[in-house]
Amino acid sequence: MSRMVWSLLLGLAVVLGAAGIWAGRVPQGSAGPPNGLPPAPAIGHPAPEVSLTTTAGETFALSALRGKPVVLNFWATWCPPCRAELPELQAAHERYAGEVIIAGVNQAEPPASVIAFAGQVGLSFPLPLDVRGDVSRQYAVRSLPTTFFIDRDGIIRRIQIGPVTEATLAQALQVIFP
Amino acid sequence: MLPILQIGPLALPTYPLALLIAFWTALEISSRIARRSRLDGDHLYNAGLYGALALIVAGRGAHVVAFWPAYRVQPGEIIGLNTQAFLWGPGAIIGACVAAWYIYRHKLPWAQVLDAAAAGALVGLIIAELGAFLAGNGIGAAAELPWAVELWGVRRHPVQLYAALGAALTLAATLWAARRGLRGGTAAWIGLLGWGVTTWLVEPFRAESATILGGLRTAQVIGWAAVIGALWALRTRAQRAQTPGGSSSRNR
Repeated sequence: MSRMVWSLLLGLAVVLGAAGIWAGRVPQGSAGPPNGLPPAPAIGHPAPEVSLTTTAGETFALSALRGKPVVLNFWATWCPPCRAELPELQAAHERYAGEVIIAGVNQAEPPASVIAFAGQVGLSFPLPLDVRGDVSRQYAVRSLPTTFFIDRDGIIRRIQIGPVTEATLAQALQVIFP
Repeated sequence: MLPILQIGPLALPTYPLALLIAFWTALEISSRIARRSRLDGDHLYNAGLYGALALIVAGRGAHVVAFWPAYRVQPGEIIGLNTQAFLWGPGAIIGACVAAWYIYRHKLPWAQVLDAAAAGALVGLIIAELGAFLAGNGIGAAAELPWAVELWGVRRHPVQLYAALGAALTLAATLWAARRGLRGGTAAWIGLLGWGVTTWLVEPFRAESATILGGLRTAQVIGWAAVIGALWALRTRAQRAQTPGGSSSRNR
């Protein structure tokens, strides 16, 4: 191809490329809740409502926590990686008390065994009891532990499958609690 | 959507599995194409493996530096198996540097190496995008089109399939360049051009994009820069080939 054709191609690439980038830019202020998305256990979607009774006999309702970031962890006492991450979640609950809500949704276990286990380990954050497993199914939890990081507007911003460590918890919290 | 592959008692995360398959396939194809160019395919394999090892080590190292107060409390996690504890950006840069050092150290011809690596990388990209589609990663923006896919009650662009198609067309173009016996390195520049065009075209259809400078999509800017760079290089090479006494396509 001649020099002129190459130069024309280059010029077109510069101009059209820049125009395409400008046309495809993300509108400012669109970081807020997406309009019209249905609740779903997926990043960018509003988190499905959770309404369960905790080990303390209180009602845990996700909608009532709007305005604060929420770390929603799904776990069970029989799950070794779940047990391994509980100290990190407890430490985060104490460190961010009043600013970030840490909640551990127990999956389909008898309340008495969960209460006994929580006492042994020294857990003081809310432990909603998903006795029938309905919420776990609603959140499509296929392996334990699974943790959903929900921002102040109730939007899921990060999902972690597998245990959290001090470092990965700090990294994930940056997304919902910058 | 299939984020987890259940095989008996095993629950395998789909996307990481697809990335692993993509990586090994890319290495295998790159080394086979290298052998056709009378290069030692094992060198490309080794460069890829060393680069991947460096990616993992550097990615973990960067995570440790970024979150040092947490690792100081849990030093055992520095070598822990948590697959979330990596910063892939710095890891990729170091991995690429290590692979490049290997190629330099063994005095391999850059043009032929990049031609072989381009084809392998594009095959890997196709597999990775198909894996992302299956797993529901990197989803597309909402759309009401006949070919839109439904995810969580919303019909969306199958943006991963768009990217895979772009990579497939680019692969065809690079293989065509290689078969035509064009000057060494041309296939790699064509590969970069195709990747850049695909990225520039596809990124606006993604549901979420990293942005810079007030909303410009980062990947789209990088794709645009790749297109300009590749066109510039191809123009320069074509002009040199046309210059009296300049090099010809036999220079492979």
